[in-house]
Formats: sequence, structure tokens, C-alpha cells
Amino acid sequence: MNTLFALILALIVIYLGYTFYAKRVDAQIIQADPKKATPAKLYMDGVDFSPTDRNVLYGYQFKSIAAAGPIVGAITAANLWGWLPAMLWLFLGVSFIGWVQDYSAMMMAVRRDGDSITAIAHKLISPRTRTILLLFIFVYLLMIVGAFGNLLAGTLAANPSVPLGIIMLALAGMLAGQMLYKWKMDLIVTTIIVVGLTLLAILVGPLPEITNAVKGFNSSLNTLGLTIYYVDVDGLVKPFTTSYMFWLLFVVAFSYLGATLPIWRYAQPVNYIGFWVMALTIVGGLLGAVVAIFVKPALANFVLPAFKTFDAGAGGALQPLWPMLFVTIACGAISGWHALVSTVGTGRQLEYETDALPVGAGSMFSEMLLSLLALMAISVAGKGAGAAAFANGVGQFLSIFGLDPTYGAALGFASFVIIVITVTQLALRFMRVVLAEWAGEMWPVTKNIHVGTIISAILMIIIVLSGTFTYLWQIFGASNQLMAALALMLISLWLVSEKKNPTYAFWPMLFMYVTTIAANLVSAYNLWVTVVLKQSGKPELWFAVFGAVAMIIISLFLIVAALFIGYDAWQAYNRMKAGKAAAAPAE
Amino acid sequence: MRFPLASLHEQTTAFFQAARRVLYGVAAHEIVLYTIRLRADMESLFILVTLGDLIGVPILPPYYSLRLLPYLVPNIASWKHRVLRERDILDSEGLDLLA
Repeated sequence: MNTLFALILALIVIYLGYTFYAKRVDAQIIQADPKKATPAKLYMDGVDFSPTDRNVLYGYQFKSIAAAGPIVGAITAANLWGWLPAMLWLFLGVSFIGWVQDYSAMMMAVRRDGDSITAIAHKLISPRTRTILLLFIFVYLLMIVGAFGNLLAGTLAANPSVPLGIIMLALAGMLAGQMLYKWKMDLIVTTIIVVGLTLLAILVGPLPEITNAVKGFNSSLNTLGLTIYYVDVDGLVKPFTTSYMFWLLFVVAFSYLGATLPIWRYAQPVNYIGFWVMALTIVGGLLGAVVAIFVKPALANFVLPAFKTFDAGAGGALQPLWPMLFVTIACGAISGWHALVSTVGTGRQLEYETDALPVGAGSMFSEMLLSLLALMAISVAGKGAGAAAFANGVGQFLSIFGLDPTYGAALGFASFVIIVITVTQLALRFMRVVLAEWAGEMWPVTKNIHVGTIISAILMIIIVLSGTFTYLWQIFGASNQLMAALALMLISLWLVSEKKNPTYAFWPMLFMYVTTIAANLVSAYNLWVTVVLKQSGKPELWFAVFGAVAMIIISLFLIVAALFIGYDAWQAYNRMKAGKAAAAPAE
Repeated sequence: MRFPLASLHEQTTAFFQAARRVLYGVAAHEIVLYTIRLRADMESLFILVTLGDLIGVPILPPYYSLRLLPYLVPNIASWKHRVLRERDILDSEGLDLLA
């Protein structure tokens, strides 16, 4: 297999899926009608509800759904099972489930006055479903800050060329906010200055003077000897060093700013700069992947084994292909988070119903390409693991254009860290909001943005230092995929209520529902076997055991919540079948 | 009958226009939305101060409210829609940035 062949395959999959399946569903089942007024026209307020050109919305939706998820998931899965299962799931997932959810959720919002998915769940199934969905969102956020915090601290501590670029990102973000919103400077000038500064810092990062200084700093921290032990996915006990903890605190401080400052002041400009760095890397990487086959064919060949094993578990843990692959790769194939964005973000801006297909389904198919790039990068790299393999792969692709692989890899590393850190800061911000919503009535102090953020940050630190990345990622994936199952369940019920054929959404829902419940059981079993049973009683591992017990509780909670939702949906279905009003009973 | 080259030219122009809009959507639409929201928040606050009587919050003496009324009339409908719309947690800022 090589990169060009993989890309051609992906384009064929997109063509077939979009032309012969998505278009047919749009025309025959949903029956999108350009003459029907959309919420953007009906409730136009010039802010949230505003008719927008479909090409603009396609770009906006793609930007909203494509971030760290499609990259990290593909890398983790390829490391565990090989590139072939990951690629097959990407192709099949996006063709039969991913676009179905994104597009249908968008259309459901359009036909239901621009309601958010939680509001629709409240009305269509039951008030309890909305509450459970919010719990899913909180677990999703908790796991994402845990998994990403783990990944970020590890990458920053192990790669001395990266931190300078990230520090510059924070400073450039502040500057961008000031230039755009206070000094009202031109967007293009601002972009050139802040993105240029960040790129310069990223490319200066690998210089020996910089790397030696960061290495020296990390070494002096490590002499303090503060160490916390954790159990890795292979069952081995490994340490979190002092420098790791320092970079974790750095990530927390970075995210704290994103969570507490006005969004235009920091989080949004940082996200904007991150987008450009990522876009340059992705576009350069994709072009390199295509050109490589003609210029340096050896560079474009996949080195990673196509298939490693059906069960990638080690040290007593289980990592069976089914169900774990399907929660390890979420974004890129199917992600529940997209349903939230599709309803409250893009769904309220659609000018015509017929725009939902190119915007919702089109951007989902495009996101699969981003995931495929990550998969190709790790497959050709052949050295390193995780972020390192991705960075090395990107470095190789960019070397086609004459960029030294060291600098290419630095750009790959930095863009990876930037994508992940921008998501982490926003997840912490959203955790603070959810916390205030939940606990605000009982403990008004949690409504204070600093108190809410500090509580969320402490939870994040506990999760990172007591957890294992792969398990955190898989439980995050499971909560995300359960949201997808819930979204598909809502879509199926909505189609029933509209007297339309729900089959195209029902079977994917059933698959995601069963798969994610099974994945949660496997995660709970793995943590029980590898950490609780084997490591209990060892004083240096009490924190890891505590974390494992917490993760097991979360996994079991997700299963119980899914069962409740399934039961409530069944009740709602029976109500509809009996011909009663579709509305849920009052709380 | 259409001249083929003209059609090709039109198609090329349309393609580049679409590409520009997509680029705008990816890169700048989010910033524009945040700027609009920022302005809308300020506007909501201003209307609340001047025409708070409409929702039972009399802040400014009616004399000044009446003097300002003609300037604010065009915005009252969208203001009422924004203020009175039922919101939930997913309406919080930043959701569209987090994927």
C-alpha cells in the first residue's frame, strides 16, 4: 500500500457514499425542499440565526468538527491493530454512519425550529434523556481533558523542540485578540503577524541552543525526584517524572487562560492561529503524500504492518478489534459531538434545506480525509509511536518540498500539540460551564468562573496523573460514541414521528449502541485486571488504583445511562406507535 | 446554444468563487460570528438600559428612552428574539470551536 493508492481509494469511497447513498436518502427519505423556510430565515436575528451561503457553511462545519479527534484516534488505532482495520473502519464508518448522523441531526434541527439536540431529546424522548445527555457531555469533557492532558504533558516533556512554539502560541493568541477586537486591525495583517510569529518559534525550536536549554531545564526538574507511578496499557508500571508534572501544570495554566478570559481575548484567537498552523501542515502533508509517490516512491510506502492482531491486549488486558477499534477511532468515522455542533451551530445558519447535504455530509466525508492523513503519516513513518510517529511521517511528507525532515517533524509535532491544546482549553472552559449549570444552584460559589475552572482543573490533574492514556482515550471514545448512538436514536424517533422510513439511521444506531456498551465493559475489565487486581496494596501505586476504580465507575455509569436512554426511547417509540402525541411527559 | 468556452469560463469563475467562500468559512466565518455576538451582547445591554421598561426593568427615565426610541426601533424585534429565546447549555460560547 502507498499514500497515493490510499488517497484514491478514499476518494472513490467518498464518491460512492455521497452519490449513491447520501443523495438518495436526502431526496427520497428526508425530501429536503429548497422552498421550505429554514429557522435561519424564520427567526433571523443576525446573530445565531442568520442565512449563510452553503460554501461558507461547509468550511465552517468542517472547521468545527475537524480538530484533534480524527488525528489522535487514527494514530492510536493504527498502533494497536495496524493500518488496515483503521482504514476500513474509516471508510465504512463514514459511509454508513458518520454522514448519516451529521446530516440527519442538522436536518432534524432545521425541521424542529433550530432546537439543540438536548432540547429535542427533552421533547421527543423524556426530560431524563436530556439530563443523561448532559452527563455524557461532562464525562466526554472530563475524559478528553484527561487523555489530552496526558498526551500533551508527555509530548512537551519528551520533545524539547516543541515548548517554544506553544509558549509563542499563547503570546500570539493574546496579541491576536488585542489586534483584532481592540485595535480593530485588518484580519489579513493580523493573521500574517501572529501566524508568522508562531511558525517562526516552531521552526526555531529544533535549534541546538533551544533544545539544550529545554533539556537542561527538564533535567534539573527531574533531579527533584518527585515521581508518580502509573500502569501503562501494556501492564507495565512506569513513572510520571517531575518534568512531566511541570509540563502538565503548564498545560493547565494555558487552559486556565482559555477557560477564564473572554473567549475573544484568548481562546478563539489561539484556536484561529492553531487552525492556520494545522492547515499549512495538513495541506503540505497531503500534497507531499501525493507527490512522494512520483518523486520518492520509497517514502510513500506503508511501513507499519497492515494488520497486527485481533486482540492487541497485553499484560492481561483485552483489546479486541471489536468493539475497541470502534471507540478508539471516533472522529473521522462517526462522532457524537458533531451532532451537537450540527444542531446549534450550523443548523441555525442553513439558508436552504437542500444545503444540509453538502454541508453536513460533505464536511463529514472531508473529515475522514484528515483522519486518513494521520493514518498515512503514521503508516509511512515506521519509527516512534503515537505523536512521534505522526510528526515523523509529516516530516517525511514535507521533506519532498525540500524542508529538512527535522524541521518538518518539528512542524508536525507542533501542529499536533497545538490542535490538542486548543481543544483542551475549550474543554476546560465548557467543563466550567457544565459544572456551574449542575452545581450552581446547590453551591453558588461554583458559578464563579475561577472557582469553576479551578475545580475542573483539579479534576483534570487527578485524571491525568492517575490514568493511562489508552484507557482514557477509549472511555472518552465510548462516551462520544454513546452520544452518537443517542443522536441516531433521536433521529430514528424523529423519522418515525414524521412517518418516514428510519432504517438508515436505526441500524447504525443499534451497532453503535451495542458496540459502545461492549467497549465500556472491556475498558472496565481491563482496568480491573491490570490495575486494581495486580497493583492493589503497593504503596507507590495507590493513586493509579484510585484512578482505575474511578474509571471503572465511570464506565459502568455510562452503561447504566445508555440502558436508561434505550428504555426511555423504547417507551417513546411505543407512544408514537400507539398514535399518541409525540411529546414527552412533563418532568 | 451556449458557447462552450464561455461556459468553461463561467464554471471556472464559479469554482473559484466557491473555493473563496469555503476558505472564508474555514478561516474567518468563526471570527465574524464572534464579532457579531460581541456586538449583539453590547447592543442587548444598551437596549436593556434604555428600554428596560419593555421587560419590566426601568433603568433610564422614560423621557430619554422615548428620545432614543426611533433609533432603536429597527433592532427591537431581533433583541426581543435574542433575549426571550429559550437557551440551554449547548448555546454557550465555544461549542463550535470544540470538536
